[in-house]
Amino acid sequence: MNQPMAITIRGLTKFYGKAPALRGVDLEVGRGEIFGFLGPNGAGKTTTIRCMLDLIRPNGGTIRVLGLDPQAEPVAVRARVGYLPGELRLEDNLTVEGALRYFARLRGGRVDWGFVRELAERLDLDLKPAIKNLSHGNKQKVGVVQALMHRPELLLLDEPTLGLDPLMQHEVLHLIAEARAEEATVFFSSHIMSEVQAVAERVAMIRRGEIVEVAETASLINRALRRARVRFGQPVDGKLLGNVPGVTVLSQDGTSVLLQVAGEMNGLIKALATLPVRDFETERPSLEEIFLAHYESDLGEAK
Amino acid sequence: MINVFRYTLARFRGQILGWGLGLFLLGLLVVPFYDIIVEQREQFEQLLKNYPPEFVAFFGGIDAFATPEGYLSVEFFSYMPLILGIFSVLAGSGLLASDEEKGTLDLVMAHPLSRTALFLGRLLAFVIATLAILALSWLSFVVAMNWSALDVGWGEMALPYLSLLGVLLLFGSLALLLSMLLPSRRLAAMTAGFLLVASFFITSLARIDENLEGIANLSPLNYYQSGEAILGLNGEWLLGLLAAAALFAILAWWRFERRDIRVGGEGSWRLSIPWRRVAVRGG
Repeated sequence: MNQPMAITIRGLTKFYGKAPALRGVDLEVGRGEIFGFLGPNGAGKTTTIRCMLDLIRPNGGTIRVLGLDPQAEPVAVRARVGYLPGELRLEDNLTVEGALRYFARLRGGRVDWGFVRELAERLDLDLKPAIKNLSHGNKQKVGVVQALMHRPELLLLDEPTLGLDPLMQHEVLHLIAEARAEEATVFFSSHIMSEVQAVAERVAMIRRGEIVEVAETASLINRALRRARVRFGQPVDGKLLGNVPGVTVLSQDGTSVLLQVAGEMNGLIKALATLPVRDFETERPSLEEIFLAHYESDLGEAK
Repeated sequence: MINVFRYTLARFRGQILGWGLGLFLLGLLVVPFYDIIVEQREQFEQLLKNYPPEFVAFFGGIDAFATPEGYLSVEFFSYMPLILGIFSVLAGSGLLASDEEKGTLDLVMAHPLSRTALFLGRLLAFVIATLAILALSWLSFVVAMNWSALDVGWGEMALPYLSLLGVLLLFGSLALLLSMLLPSRRLAAMTAGFLLVASFFITSLARIDENLEGIANLSPLNYYQSGEAILGLNGEWLLGLLAAAALFAILAWWRFERRDIRVGGEGSWRLSIPWRRVAVRGG
């Protein structure tokens, strides 16, 4: 029997008063995927995630989480989902262990406490202190543990590494990868492009409440424009390279030419074969550059 | 629901002890003073005759000051709705809105817990906390009366507390409802507190001015019996108070079931209209 998609969203709209937060979001996330959800502040990432948990009610569209309608069966959905909010707030008067035991009780006590201790140990989280005495990073670790401790089928993580030091960021990404290895689906938003690039198989980019791109992370990077720097043994006419389809000359400085290449490199390499090439370097853009390219109009408006 | 109830009741622990022990001590102070009143009854009655009749009427007819019910009304039960009203209004308005404004409700609600279960667990904890505070206060009177001329049976002594319970639950659930409708817990508490004080003054002034009797009929405290309940509880009045409390609680639950949970902070003045919400349907 085919399992339903982990997440299916169709035409999701949400207004806060008259201000649209989501304008017809469409998304599909398969079982066992690690899916990155990217967008600047206020783009609709948190709103989308909170709609999936029935914390807020959409104005239109359909959502299915693990085949269930969150509005019709919120308890069943939440039982199978681990959630880390983007703005994590915990009850200050509890200890770390007290908070985690309370969350475990809310899950009907079906939590392996040995696994909780293992997670805490891996994240270097002491269970004894009061929440009010924890740093922001340590509170974030509590959030990560409570999201993972019941081994959910679906993880909804809103900025999971926010406030963590690089070592712990790395450990959280390991935990995400391990959850996936145990066939969990991971849907996470992040501002840190390098970590999305490192773990996400597919990404969606959201801008002003609309999905502007959904693609496999690798193909998104592969099909993006690449830059090539060529150094020649003697000055050459840059126009020769500019005439190659898909190639644009960005700058020329004596014997060095900086090019931008769209699509395949084949034409450029054939053209270079006829010239006295001394050195040839190419670089792919990072996910961050692709992200910034998508949102540069927003950045321009903001300035 | 039981986990939410236990956790919320544990959070009420400090308030139960603070309010309960405070009222316990007050009861221990109020009861012995009755003996002095009885011993100097004639002087007190003479003193009261010198007060303007409006003043006497405002405090519920303190001409019966030397009777147990009159004494308990004036010295304790007449102002208890205002004093304990502070607890019920603050507790009721903060029952859900406080955590929502702190931002902790978001994560709690992401657990396999229905909104109804969360609501009922917290409401039940509020009711039990109120009962516990009243029980501690009642106990102080029952204990102290062993060494006093104030001779009221423990059963009779419980009757004014039942009337007081009705008032406290009504204003607590009203504050809860207002916290679901208004943008902030602070505003809900202020509004419920204002209505409580207004109700107190309207009911008291209606004893002086007959023209206010019409509006006083709408005042919840008009159906509060104070110490007079010792002579017999008006079951209809108590049921009326409890029914109003239940109605406010049901409306609050109805609203909580349908509203968005905020990430944190206070809301805006935008009042959403429930019937404009388009349900997300299966596709």
